[in-house]
Amino acid sequence: MSLWEFIEGRYDDLLQAGFDHIWLVGLSVLLCTVIGVGLGVATYQTNRPREIVLAVTSTFLTVPSFALFVLLIPPLGIGAPPVILALTMYGLLPVVRNTITGLREVDPSIVESAKGMGLGRAQRLTKIELPLAWPVIVTGVRVSALILVGIATIGAIVDGPGYGEFIFNGLARVGSPVAVNLVLAGMIGVIVVAIIFDVFFAVIAKLTTSRGIR
Amino acid sequence: MTTSTEQSLGAEATAPEMGMAPIRREHRTVASYLLMPVFLALVCLGLYLYVQSKELDTIEQRALNASRLGTAGWEHVQLTIVSTIFVILIAIPLGVFLTRPFTRRFRGVLLTVANIGQALPTIGVLALFAVAFVFIGFKAAIVGLVAYTVLPVLRNTMVGLQQVDENVLEAGRGMGISKMGVLTRIELPLAVPIILAGVRTALVINVGTAALATYINAGGLGDIIVAGLSTNRLTVQITGAVLTAVLALLVDYLAGIAEDVLRPKGL
Repeated sequence: MSLWEFIEGRYDDLLQAGFDHIWLVGLSVLLCTVIGVGLGVATYQTNRPREIVLAVTSTFLTVPSFALFVLLIPPLGIGAPPVILALTMYGLLPVVRNTITGLREVDPSIVESAKGMGLGRAQRLTKIELPLAWPVIVTGVRVSALILVGIATIGAIVDGPGYGEFIFNGLARVGSPVAVNLVLAGMIGVIVVAIIFDVFFAVIAKLTTSRGIR
Repeated sequence: MTTSTEQSLGAEATAPEMGMAPIRREHRTVASYLLMPVFLALVCLGLYLYVQSKELDTIEQRALNASRLGTAGWEHVQLTIVSTIFVILIAIPLGVFLTRPFTRRFRGVLLTVANIGQALPTIGVLALFAVAFVFIGFKAAIVGLVAYTVLPVLRNTMVGLQQVDENVLEAGRGMGISKMGVLTRIELPLAVPIILAGVRTALVINVGTAALATYINAGGLGDIIVAGLSTNRLTVQITGAVLTAVLALLVDYLAGIAEDVLRPKGL
């Protein structure tokens, strides 16, 4: 059976896996954006906490995904929950790092003039600093989404939904004719999801960047 | 490790490519050098006490004895080191070759391909070799790991060489240094930090992906995890997963030290 026939035959399954893959990664990206930007805003002005947050989030990314998924089985069971928590941990570093860098790169004289105009701390942050740092932050979120699309595949080991199922099913059938189709279909699916996220965030970056700095 | 901010993604070099913003590295203190080993030792101690406190049945005893764990750990280390050595041997010369003037035309395309390749899941690359050529075992795992992690090292080598200031090269040539001399005495040393960041990325990816090598019968600590999963023994799963994580963090920590030590003095 050719790959094309395989894809036609399993069209519904593949589409379902695609939706699963997208919501799994989408939810995780949303969580790490909220947490990551929060951590970045909270720590960008202070040296010690900033270093600690960066060190901890980069340590998360060093832990192999296979190990982390399995370690999350005792507290969270199998299926989507351990995968979402693990993906959120993996996605933090790019978001936190870019939030901190973006905020620190804002020209101090601009912040100074905002102060002179009588803007308070919170207003300076929401009206001046965050909008100026936003393009860098969105890039971090985009990088994080691309990393997570790949890692989500491994989630199939703990019964996480998405295209990983196809790849691992293929691996379990090494030598049989359907194995190649399963793996290839899974890989193509992952690439399509990656492209969808990349385009999505490119559009988001365009739409949400403050007009003045576009 | 408190300041080891450019970790797994080799951020220094990926910054222009992948949009990861760089954070300047500060000098580490002795205390921060000790933090990670102490933490990992405590984790291992905790794991040991946890396993000791359990009454192990025969399946668990078979999976969790010193020789089985030692073999799996050693296989894992071999997979990681052998694949990384091949990556260095292939990617750095290739990177040097592809930054010579006559390759300028297709350089951009290559970097794009290298970046897109990174979005593929590591397991997919391993799986593809396995199912397409019924190629499994240690050698297959090495081929899969190398095929994947050549990309970050190649990319960092090219970026590292390209960001060397043209004026510095000009000065070198003006002093009468040969083309080869400019490469080995000026370009490569200046690119070393970024190349090392790439090698560290490759090491971290390799040590993590080697855990999945068990799915193509190539051994490693993944064997222990899978043994635990397939027999539904929590103690075995946790032992395998914790040891895998400890090994990965240790490898990254050692690579971080190597990065600091190998960096040319003047930089």
